Amino acid sequence: MEQFEPVVVAFCCHYCAYTAADMAGSKRLAYPANVNIVRVPCSGKVDAIHLMKAFEKGADGVYVAGCLEGDCHFKNGNTQVARRVAYVKRLLDEIGIGGKRLEMFYMSAGMGERFARIATEMTEKIRDLGPNPVKSALNKKKGKAVA
Amino acid sequence: MITAERKPLEEIIASVKPFQRILLVGCNECVTVCAAGGRKEVGLLASALQMHFMTEGKTIDIKEITLERQCDPEYVEELNVHMDQADAVLSMACGCGVQEIARRYREKPVFPAVNTKFMGASERQGVWAERCQGCGDCLLGLTGGICPIARCSKRLLNGPCGGSTTGKCEISPEVDCVWQLIWDRLKALGMQDRYEDITPAKNWQTGRGGGPRKIIREDLAE
Amino acid sequence: MMKNQDTMSSHKKILVVGGGIGGIRAAMDLAESGRDVVLIDKSISIGGLMTQLDRTFPTNNCDLCTISPRLSEGGRQERIELMTMTEVKTVSGEKGNFTVTLSQAPRYIDLDRCTACGDCYKAFPECVTFSPGLDHRAPTCMRYPQAIPQAYAIDMQKCQDVEALENICKAGAILPQQELKMTELDVGAVILCPGAAIFDPSGLDHFEYEKNPDVVTSLEYERILSASGPTQGELVRPSYGKNPEKIAWIQCVGSRGIQKGAASYCSSACCMFALKEAMVTKERFQDSIETTIFYMDIRTFGKEYEQYRERAENEFHVNLLRSRPHSIVGDAATGNLNITYTTDNDGLSKTEAFDMAVLSTGFCIPDDIKDMALNMGIELNAHNFAKTDVFSPVSTSIPGIYACGLFESPKDIPETMVQASAAACLAARETHPAVNTEEDTTKNLPERDVSNEDPKVGIFICDCGLNIGGVVDTQSLADFGKTLPQVAVSQVVGHGCSKVAMDIIKQTIIDQKLNRVVIGGCSPRTHETKFQDLLKKAGLNKYLVEIANIRDQNTWVHADAPQAALQKAQHLIRMAVTSVKCSHPLTDHSLPMNKDILVVGGGVTGMSSALSLADQGFKVFLVEKTAQLGGIAKNIQKTIEGQTVPPFIEALSKKIVQHSSIEVIFNAFIVDHTGMPGMFKTGLQIAPQMYYRQIDHGITILATGALQNRPNEYLLGEHPDVMTQLDMDGFLEKTPDRIKAMGTAAMIQCVGSRCPDNPDCSRVCCQSAVKNALRMLDINPDMRIFVLYRDMRTYGFLEDYYLEARKRGVIFVRYEKDNPPEVEAAEKGVTLSFVDPILGKRLSLSADCLCLSTGLVADDESTEDLAMIFRLQRTRQGFFLEDHVKLRPLDLSTPGFFVAGTAHSPKNIKESIADAQAVAGRAQALLAKNTIELGAAIARVDSNKCAACLICVRACPFDVPFINADGYSEIDPAKCHGCGVCAAECPAKAIQLMQFEDDQILAKLDGLLERMVA
Repeated sequence: MEQFEPVVVAFCCHYCAYTAADMAGSKRLAYPANVNIVRVPCSGKVDAIHLMKAFEKGADGVYVAGCLEGDCHFKNGNTQVARRVAYVKRLLDEIGIGGKRLEMFYMSAGMGERFARIATEMTEKIRDLGPNPVKSALNKKKGKAVA
Repeated sequence: MITAERKPLEEIIASVKPFQRILLVGCNECVTVCAAGGRKEVGLLASALQMHFMTEGKTIDIKEITLERQCDPEYVEELNVHMDQADAVLSMACGCGVQEIARRYREKPVFPAVNTKFMGASERQGVWAERCQGCGDCLLGLTGGICPIARCSKRLLNGPCGGSTTGKCEISPEVDCVWQLIWDRLKALGMQDRYEDITPAKNWQTGRGGGPRKIIREDLAE
Repeated sequence: MMKNQDTMSSHKKILVVGGGIGGIRAAMDLAESGRDVVLIDKSISIGGLMTQLDRTFPTNNCDLCTISPRLSEGGRQERIELMTMTEVKTVSGEKGNFTVTLSQAPRYIDLDRCTACGDCYKAFPECVTFSPGLDHRAPTCMRYPQAIPQAYAIDMQKCQDVEALENICKAGAILPQQELKMTELDVGAVILCPGAAIFDPSGLDHFEYEKNPDVVTSLEYERILSASGPTQGELVRPSYGKNPEKIAWIQCVGSRGIQKGAASYCSSACCMFALKEAMVTKERFQDSIETTIFYMDIRTFGKEYEQYRERAENEFHVNLLRSRPHSIVGDAATGNLNITYTTDNDGLSKTEAFDMAVLSTGFCIPDDIKDMALNMGIELNAHNFAKTDVFSPVSTSIPGIYACGLFESPKDIPETMVQASAAACLAARETHPAVNTEEDTTKNLPERDVSNEDPKVGIFICDCGLNIGGVVDTQSLADFGKTLPQVAVSQVVGHGCSKVAMDIIKQTIIDQKLNRVVIGGCSPRTHETKFQDLLKKAGLNKYLVEIANIRDQNTWVHADAPQAALQKAQHLIRMAVTSVKCSHPLTDHSLPMNKDILVVGGGVTGMSSALSLADQGFKVFLVEKTAQLGGIAKNIQKTIEGQTVPPFIEALSKKIVQHSSIEVIFNAFIVDHTGMPGMFKTGLQIAPQMYYRQIDHGITILATGALQNRPNEYLLGEHPDVMTQLDMDGFLEKTPDRIKAMGTAAMIQCVGSRCPDNPDCSRVCCQSAVKNALRMLDINPDMRIFVLYRDMRTYGFLEDYYLEARKRGVIFVRYEKDNPPEVEAAEKGVTLSFVDPILGKRLSLSADCLCLSTGLVADDESTEDLAMIFRLQRTRQGFFLEDHVKLRPLDLSTPGFFVAGTAHSPKNIKESIADAQAVAGRAQALLAKNTIELGAAIARVDSNKCAACLICVRACPFDVPFINADGYSEIDPAKCHGCGVCAAECPAKAIQLMQFEDDQILAKLDGLLERMVA
């Protein structure tokens, strides 16, 4: 059977994590193509609903990446979203999707290496967890193979 | 404000499981303010339910709507247009809202998605605490503006019990002894003599003791 | 509007030498005020020293995100011509009319063509530099992504095969024929901010810096801490690669005349630097690492820096050890560094083993900067720094040439920013601003109304040479784009950011009547503005474009998996298309600008800023609550440098009163304030009749000063021979005979400062004590003077005076905070009793007079009122809180509000005047425009949905939302920072952040995931 290729969504704040992702690019640090970035001005902009909808629409893993603690361009958006992430993790556990599919990370704009490492680790972790149950159940029903 | 918190998802899921088309109704009043049943919580619950049922290989139709106030019939009327397409209603309002929908739409099953908790105030962002029990005979004027009925574990009216230690209640070290608070406040106001006044046994008839209550403003009521 | 046009040579440029943080600030301020600037730097990109710091005190932030928009603005500003690898050779002429020759070393790269793709670096790493970033020794996080210009440089000498190098560049950007270029330029003024060098400790063999890899300088340690440093942020010993468990910092290396070749001055920033490094070490790595700082005096004299030290000691458990270590000796057997030192209490020599030692090396002026200055003919001081005067802190000996930052004196970043803005303010006077400072919109087509059109999307895919095209088939990507709904055009455009491609895109938008645009290319971080400008030129609202980052975040990182890269590129394009369809035209918020200025406070600071602005023709209202000008400085007779203050104040006051553009309003109190940025209305009540008057203004400068602290300690106010240093200042001048009659004087430092009531250091008292001691000795050379102190904080060149005082016999005795001196009234004078830490004994001393160094405290009453009326933040001690302690030290959070002088924090006259000129510089940048621009990314509240729950009010990091009179949340677009926290928290979903609305974000998820779940 073909290896499962998860789809991972990364909400990245403009000032740190998104810049770190660009930095990984500049340094040509390879990481799995499974990670897709959604840019937000501040990680604090990421709503619990965005996280839920990402899973509902079929993402296998989601993470939010903000500035290092204390470094948020907007003072504390990163710590505010961290609480939301913890809340949604519990919610995901409750409905059987699994809170482990959602994570919060912190990085500075210069941490291209860290961005690439997290992207790799997160992809591996989600690969181990297998497809989002939402997706697999639906696909099974339709008789489609898992992409 | 009336406070509430979302029920465990398991319970909500069990209640709506038999139905295919669900009308999920939020309320833009108290439950929005205490982050239990406003537009955002409606969105989150809809998504959570949808996902849960998907994992069971089933899709359900959830219609999300948030009313200005679920405890007023005129606002509830706005649900008319959606009722035909719903097999059941899931309300995120307090118990008043759930009952108002049940009263208006007798043929539809209505389920609560939140547990209504108490009348309270927000201590800070994300923290709400009980402040009033609606006893119907307010005595805050005697107690320095701090309610011993809502905030004393034993509802004592004349000073603390023997379980008050270092300003805390014997129930839990997290809970302030309300009589300590009352005393401190009276002292700050220079009204210690009030403490000496004995409050007679309370007539609970004005509260729930007298059965379900109703207020009628004759000048307003038709 | 402008006066003195005849004396100003219009259209002259201003030369800014040095592209560090100060140079960038000065250039930005000048450019914003409509002046054309040439910014030169001798290295291959701008950024200077600050870009090498991992984190900066006192916030311990990396501040990258704060500096990065600044740097890219610096690169973008049309009025700034940036010349890297350039030095100034000669300067001739005079103020308003200089001729300078610049020599620019060849970069061998055509900056217009280089796309920073890195192909040349990959093939020829030996001769290609991208100074920061890719060089693994380069310290910081911030260098690479923000490097301006974003291009490489080539060292031709090291290049073996020039032809092959030339061929590798697809953009044809390599120019082997480039030569050293000399340019002659007419400029109106010159600002020098070339920075300084760091003391080289190689010669200090007792510290084994050269020999032992575990002995590093503080800047090297910064690189070890840094995420993109040599160890990628792992803290390891350079020798073993193991984690250190004990680290020592040694202060004053190269400063305070301690070692061979060291300068005599204090480098001002190293104490904070060491504290920061020690704290970050504890915070980021492990708390178990022992950190010890060996110091002489801990000099945390900046705003709230003393509290920072407290935190370091009490919360982070950084050991502060008052000792000057004798030596660092490496032990080959154990690998330890043995540090030998002595402490006061027992006087015994101890040896302690450490794993690493960090030398806190100070600043010095390198020969090349010294030579440049001497070539220009400007006077340097004894330490080779630019010579400046107390009353004109950034003016050099040549009129029209200004100095700021480290080149003026050792200092930290906020003070550099202040001086840079001050220099910009003064330099601007020599040239005329351009007539039209507004954006040139003539090239734009009128904006087409697309609100009633269905989305019609055009996709343009860049191949960026091989950067994208070499990994994915861009044509097939474009073909994929055509299959997406509502896409009218999808094509490959080569280098999308090249002029040719931009023209094609523009024409296609117009011809095909596209109303949404997707660019598949590089990062929106660097190129969004460029494409937004393009849309404007094509007659579309600039917010109708979305950039899919298929290079930096796709082909560059997935080159090893081209199939996956193509698939991901498709996802990214589809995400951009679904999202751009949800976008709608937005207006950048702008508000008209009233050009009048309100200055609150008629002290030296208020007067100096009023004068700086009025001299440029602006109308200034100077409001003073008393009946006279001069403020607290009226009580000061002399500065430590020896200048007399009263004539200066007198002359300044006279100019103010006589100035036709300044209206002084005495006896006035501020009572109300309304309006928004650009158009404020402030109400005054004016004594004695207390009549009411309202002033319209666009700029507010708070120069309300501070108060002399008079705590009830040590018989102050009870005994005639006990006085403050400020009292003594006048006493010395008025009654020298009484000084002559004295045998012994004593001074006690930190009275009412650095204590629980007032945890801050008052900054000015150590210098006042030294100043008064020297003046006493001038009058009565035989006098015995004792100064009881905790840490002597004579920072910068003030150290010279401290040294002089010691040489002339002033006795400095340290006391501990927990064991302060005791004072009793005696028959004549007072008797002091204190413990001498070296003798370890309690001594008693009779003194004819006792001076208490009480410093300055915030005028709590008036700052509290003003903070309430103007809705401003204050520090716990009652000083106004600036917008950014490091980079915007005088800007307040409301645009158009500034603080200067001692209302910001205690400071001396020279520093206050620099502040005053700096706020004038910052103000004039705003005043040059007719509107204040606020951008479009602001949060909007839907009042119908709002439940007035206060969650946004509480969640906003900037306290912007409030519940208005109509009972719903209101967010002032002028104050919103655009983070979107409120939108994410709102339980009623009543708030949307423009540009990042929920439906746009969800559309992106749809675009990415639509095939996953059908």
